[in-house]
Amino acid sequence: MSRRGESFQKVDVPMAPMIDVVFQLLIFFMLTLRIVAAEGDFNINMPIGTVASSSDELPPLDVKVRLVANPDGSLQQLQFGGRELGNDFPVCFERLNQEIAVIAGRGKQAVDDVVVEIDSDYGLHYKYVLRAVSACAGRFDPKTGGRVTYIENIKLTPPHRPE
Amino acid sequence: MVTKRTVRKVVEPDMTPMIDCTFQLITFFMIVSNFEQTKADERVKLPADMLAKPPAVARRNELVVNVGYKRNSTGAAVDPDPFVFWNGDESTRVFDMQRNFQREARLTAAKEGKDKVKDTVITLRADEEVPVGLVQELIRQAQEAGYTSFSFKARNEEAGE
Repeated sequence: MSRRGESFQKVDVPMAPMIDVVFQLLIFFMLTLRIVAAEGDFNINMPIGTVASSSDELPPLDVKVRLVANPDGSLQQLQFGGRELGNDFPVCFERLNQEIAVIAGRGKQAVDDVVVEIDSDYGLHYKYVLRAVSACAGRFDPKTGGRVTYIENIKLTPPHRPE
Repeated sequence: MVTKRTVRKVVEPDMTPMIDCTFQLITFFMIVSNFEQTKADERVKLPADMLAKPPAVARRNELVVNVGYKRNSTGAAVDPDPFVFWNGDESTRVFDMQRNFQREARLTAAKEGKDKVKDTVITLRADEEVPVGLVQELIRQAQEAGYTSFSFKARNEEAGE
């Protein structure tokens, strides 16, 4: 319903303040943006009472992974039980992963009883130990894009300080 | 001299496409902004692993410990020994963390009870070149303060990378 004598006028909404605020927001988000790679984690339960002080105290189902270091911190030898798996990083850790897969293939009950103990030299670079933890924890499934879990009970030995 | 009278017009540029683009940009930056990684230290070069996936649920009780090297602008370590980047202090050595762990454990016990100390996860963000013996020393010190759960952070490495 229109009234007589009413004339329409174009209303100019002031856009300048809104554009100012929008640019402020844009600059804020641009400056606070930090592009970081996604991070994941590996859980390790190590109550102080269960830390093994020597290999003699290990129960029979414990699996020992030994990492020997060169003086520069690189990997000299990867050992699984008494067997040497080489030092060709990262292929030697794929061999370790296959060995663990054999244990994991025996069934869930058998896997629950297994504890992997990672024993490394003091000066070894941390990345090798983390790769060993990963090789024992499971494998990447390209079909699902997720993790197939092998062993959940993984622990590290106490540090062996160089004399 | 006779000049022709010119009619001056106010030029009004069309602002709509620019505002559209600006809002698109703001939306993009709002979505990709991550305010949760405030405890991560960029000097720590995490090792990469394919199995390292972000946890589906964020932990409630977590104590993040960054271990790495002080680096110059080229990324080279300026000190051969690693430091623990703890609460803004950049001069804490690994062997000096005992009292920090004990202080945190006492604080947690006073606030939430002793049981919560065991529920707290120590998240270790260690540089890939840190000697693993120092990581083990940190774990030992945290164990002596009452912590039992640990987690190792790794950078997510895509398959085939």
